Amino acid sequence: MRIPRALPGVLLACSLPLTGCIVESGRGEMSRSLIPEVNCPVEPDTSITTDIRIGYQQIPNGDLIVKDANLLAKCMPNATITWTQFSSGADVVRAFGSNALDLGLMGSAPTAKSLSAPLNLDVRVVWVQDVIGGAESLAVKDSAIDAIAGLRGRRIGVPFGSTSHLSLQSALDKAGLAQSVTVINLEPSAILGAWQGDQIDGAWIWEPTLSELTKDGHVIMTAEDTAEAGSPTYDLEGARGEFVTANPAAMRMWTAAQNWAVGLIRDDREDAVARLAGQLGVDPDQVRGQLDGYIYLDATEQAAPKYLGGGLGTDIRNTALFLQTQSGVDAVGPPAVYTGALYPDAAREVAQK
Amino acid sequence: MTQVVAGEAPARKDDEPEGPAVPPARRRPKLSPEALRHWGIRAGALIVFLVVWWGATAAHVIEPLYLPGPGDVWRAFVRANTWHQVAPGVPREVLGEQNYFLWEHLIASLQRIFIGVGVAIVFGVLLGFAMGSSKWVATMVEPYLNFLRALPPLGYFSLLIVWFGIGDTSKVWLLFLAAFPAVTVATLSGVLGVKRDYVNAARALGAGKSQVLARVVMPASVPDIVNGIRLAVGFAWTTVVAAELNNGIPGIGGLAYVAGTQLRTPLVIACIIVIGITALLLDSVIKWIGLAAAPWKGRA
Repeated sequence: MRIPRALPGVLLACSLPLTGCIVESGRGEMSRSLIPEVNCPVEPDTSITTDIRIGYQQIPNGDLIVKDANLLAKCMPNATITWTQFSSGADVVRAFGSNALDLGLMGSAPTAKSLSAPLNLDVRVVWVQDVIGGAESLAVKDSAIDAIAGLRGRRIGVPFGSTSHLSLQSALDKAGLAQSVTVINLEPSAILGAWQGDQIDGAWIWEPTLSELTKDGHVIMTAEDTAEAGSPTYDLEGARGEFVTANPAAMRMWTAAQNWAVGLIRDDREDAVARLAGQLGVDPDQVRGQLDGYIYLDATEQAAPKYLGGGLGTDIRNTALFLQTQSGVDAVGPPAVYTGALYPDAAREVAQK
Repeated sequence: MTQVVAGEAPARKDDEPEGPAVPPARRRPKLSPEALRHWGIRAGALIVFLVVWWGATAAHVIEPLYLPGPGDVWRAFVRANTWHQVAPGVPREVLGEQNYFLWEHLIASLQRIFIGVGVAIVFGVLLGFAMGSSKWVATMVEPYLNFLRALPPLGYFSLLIVWFGIGDTSKVWLLFLAAFPAVTVATLSGVLGVKRDYVNAARALGAGKSQVLARVVMPASVPDIVNGIRLAVGFAWTTVVAAELNNGIPGIGGLAYVAGTQLRTPLVIACIIVIGITALLLDSVIKWIGLAAAPWKGRA
């Protein structure tokens, strides 16, 4: 009987990692802030007991500040809140598709995709996390090129399906270069490698890759330019339609917390930078630079006709129309689908307070 | 009957090369000159490697963003395992990286691998035995098994997310699907490779079908199964980064990915080294379990 002699060893080896030290996903905020804790900006609501599953991304905006300050748990002490990290808007859309998420941050391109055929998801747009400005820009290496017209016959890298891709294509369309520039699908880290090896002449990309590229290149166009030309790009907060309908009180509380975070970015930049740096795990200097590349809107501005009041719906539909030409969506619905997906109620209520 | 395999096997040394004279279970590590030389060569190679690495980065042959020096990697490793300030002067301390220490990321990944591969071992071994004992089952299952084996995990992972959600379930499924074919194929080859002599001898002594399976076939295929498990754990490690691309925090693969998107190469390399060393250790543990469970390996 030699086999049983090994048995205790086998059992031990199997059970060691399973007992004792189980690491759980999505545990609460652990960082130690040496500054006083923040309290809920409004009266906490103990009557909210729902489960709230939130998808966030590593983008420097109010969402990460709310997460950092643990504000939702303070405003809704009896709700169960789970934060899940996503690496792209496409993954957030997939999670909405499988009903695994109640609220999730995604760019305007994935939002347009989720509201159009074939997905036609029941997703509402409840908040504009940021309007993308200089944070996503077109950098080129050849110092002789100073305008987009100089890109004829060149190769440009961009992550496909991203808001940067959207900005690049609309800029190329405007300049009549859509057919004469080679656009290559590359992930941010791959863009850096391709740039270093001179395999691309330029890239439309965000931080921290953008800073690396501008070390031996220069920016010729930003998302702010394309926004002025009529193709703005956003980071939006999507919400599951059923969740929004069933939990208006939770939505109001969530919006109040986001509004507080926007106020912090505007009025107490250093505190916001420290919180974002802690969440992102990067140097505060890097965050400081990145914040300037986005425009943050408070509840009053969001509720205005330009954004959640209706204008944003047109922007999302235009994005969908553009995606259709890129085979990103099958069909674009009537304008009512996109304006109807906006949910300005919570922003309005918070703005009135 | 118990003694048939265990007792008889070491006596049959006819066709296999002879192993060491002392049974492996009793080989206590008293460092012989040979072992010293063996470890000396390894330590020397490691030192040479580190010096070349350090030299290449110190001489700025390669930009630090692409290959940081050993010191940077070590600092990233320490930072990821301790409480530290976000930056000097910022009144805020965070633990590890992404709200978890590095070792917690590692354990989170190990948990997923242990569950995924654990289920894969049970299922894979059972399926392998079923295929080995019934031609019918084998004919039916084999094409699907080979089909699954050839699929790239990243290709079908998005489907698993749609089916099982973004939590740990889809990750464990991915690891299971990546791991079990290796176990099944190894078990099958183990079962088919059992010497007819053993089976015939047992049957001649009056063993029934189930006794032959339990006392002869199963023990005789243990070495193959262990090899299959080693391969399976290897596959699981190669898939774990893909599995943790989405919602992979905590997870060592997820951390490597996030660090990559932030261009923090020292942390990426620290994660890779930790993954590599853990995989090595895990493999030697499985190898050791295999030797303990089948000490006659190589001598029967």
